[in-house]
Amino acid sequence: MSVLVANCPSCGAPVEFKSGQSIVVICSYCRSAVARTDRELKDLGKVAELVETGSPLDVGLRGKWKDVPFELTGRAQLGHEMGGQWDEWYATFSNGWLGWLAEAQGRFYITFQYPIPEGVQLPSFEQLQLGQQVPGLPWPTPLMVAETGRATALGAKGEIPYLLTPGATYYYADLSGADSAFGTLDYNETPPLVFLGQQVTLADLGITTTRAPEREERRVGAAQLSCPHCGGPLELRAPDKTERVTCPNCNSLLDVNQGQLQFLKALEKPSFQPVIPIGTSGDVPEGKMTVIGAMSRSVTIEGTQYFWSEYLLYNPQIGFRWLVQSDEQWNYVRAVPPGEVTESGKSAKYQHQYYRMFQDAQCNVECVLGEFYWKVEAGEKVRGVDYIRPPYMLSKEVSTVYVTDDGGKQRRTTGEINWSLGTYVPVPQIEKAFSVSGLPRPSNVAPNQPYKYGWIYKYWIIFLLITLLAGFFTFIVSGSTKEVFSQTVNFAPLPNEDGTQVFFSEPFQLEGRRNIEVVGESPVQNTWVYLEGDLINDETGVVQSFPIDISYYQGVEDGEAWSEGGQTDSAYTSSMPAGRYVLRLEGQWEKWQQPAVVTVKIEQNVPHGFNLLAALIGLSIVPAIMVFYHISFERRRWSESMFGGGDDSDDDD
Amino acid sequence: MLKKLYTLFAIGVVSLYSMAAMFGWEITGGSRRQLPPDARQNGYRSFHFWHYGLHGGK
Repeated sequence: MSVLVANCPSCGAPVEFKSGQSIVVICSYCRSAVARTDRELKDLGKVAELVETGSPLDVGLRGKWKDVPFELTGRAQLGHEMGGQWDEWYATFSNGWLGWLAEAQGRFYITFQYPIPEGVQLPSFEQLQLGQQVPGLPWPTPLMVAETGRATALGAKGEIPYLLTPGATYYYADLSGADSAFGTLDYNETPPLVFLGQQVTLADLGITTTRAPEREERRVGAAQLSCPHCGGPLELRAPDKTERVTCPNCNSLLDVNQGQLQFLKALEKPSFQPVIPIGTSGDVPEGKMTVIGAMSRSVTIEGTQYFWSEYLLYNPQIGFRWLVQSDEQWNYVRAVPPGEVTESGKSAKYQHQYYRMFQDAQCNVECVLGEFYWKVEAGEKVRGVDYIRPPYMLSKEVSTVYVTDDGGKQRRTTGEINWSLGTYVPVPQIEKAFSVSGLPRPSNVAPNQPYKYGWIYKYWIIFLLITLLAGFFTFIVSGSTKEVFSQTVNFAPLPNEDGTQVFFSEPFQLEGRRNIEVVGESPVQNTWVYLEGDLINDETGVVQSFPIDISYYQGVEDGEAWSEGGQTDSAYTSSMPAGRYVLRLEGQWEKWQQPAVVTVKIEQNVPHGFNLLAALIGLSIVPAIMVFYHISFERRRWSESMFGGGDDSDDDD
Repeated sequence: MLKKLYTLFAIGVVSLYSMAAMFGWEITGGSRRQLPPDARQNGYRSFHFWHYGLHGGK
């Protein structure tokens, strides 16, 4: 590392280039950007004072990335054309690496410059499309364009590894990919410079800074200001992040720039009243958050305008989140990296889960109240696409803006894709979290409302399996089938058509706790034999009656053979107390003038599926009813979608 | 609530089925009666008894 010490060409104060890779150093006395060239130091002009963003980082801070120590040697503050700014920190590594550490919305991204692989031609800025994959980049996972924009160099501190000119603008594209991959295409040069890396935490960078607690303390504190239009008191709850705020006294829309308020325009009387007042704090799944802004939005589908409300939540440690109220249904929403989501046809994939497209429409901002971290105003339009997987909703918002260069001669399109993940929250939970009462109850099914009886299918399967196991177990332990009686009975012809013949068997032994099957068999052909049977306990007098109905018919009709019935019939009875029994059979048959022959067999411990079938049917009654309710529930859900759809049973309670 | 109710109901069905399997109970079994003590003493094989005594006529 070669150290160059010289005097600032503007004020003469000493400036020091500690890193050999530094091109510009900011004079700490006069804030001039001093560039070193081959021959001399050059004054590029004064940079603006850095906007206090409450960053936990600072020039001189040391850390470690992939076991290589680094030091933050410079900082540049860049402005976004939509308002707001972000910081870029330059990390000089002990092994000569030079890293870029970007900080925006409380998130950190470390990137390194990569050479463009040979033969790869990157698209020009004009060719870039939001959402497109950029081929040929030296990164293991695909990277897609998540944002295009124009940055303006606002301020700087320390040493900068490129020729930073105060006020200069350049175009860039931010890339996003799976596994927190992040990249930037810097169109300040042609071909663009490629920076690739990933989203990180301060812990990943081995940075432990004592500034963080100070920062949080400062950021938590709200700023008390006066409205420049009406002079009324106005509180900024996120003063270092807010870009727009509406005055609660005169309803003016105010621009926020470094804590200074500027009147933009007077808004009409708000068309909606937030059901959760601005300033209300509540306990959401991630911690305590405060409602700092609210907006009414709308979408027009088939000529009908539908409205919903969004509440911006803020906590310095957590960042921004949203509560969305639509048709009296609520969602808790957080942003997800665009590169983590893959769209394919009418589905999207996020964290290995597929979501189904539900809505695709242009969304409009109707009314804004409170603070926002971007320059929002009524009339703002974005394309919104919702995908659902109850209880989640994955939403994409694509916004585009037009910027002009060279005195309006050149017009370019920039924009960004924002993905968010909403989680369905029942109304009582919102009431409890934000200590509000009387919120209206929904009468319809929300797009991502979970079907709360989905558990019954799992329970049903579990109990079916248990029943089958129980059947198998009892079959194993109860032993084999045992024949206890068998005899062929010859009945004499009946005295008349209505007469009967009776047979009593010799006594035989039955075991207790064993079911009984009586099988009758007769060589009947196109006729029937009916037996009224009784098992009589010779000792106790208990009688178990059963019928045996044997009928068999066959023939040929229109050249086709047919048959009906069979030459055997059986009857099952429950077990009887163990003891000595007599079988009584009283027979009747169609051809009464002829004798009848019937072979009767009695077996015990016979496998019989009827009980099992009855148990399975019993277990299935409630789930079967719930299937109809589920279908109705899903129909109501999808009736609100422009894509229709069928039932969806992937929910959990 | 429904979860508890269904669980209880299903446990009941499974228990009933298991007990039926263990004790040889059949849902489809016919009627079961008790012969009067005098019928056992005097003999129960007569046509008259079965047609007018126990069954009440066929």
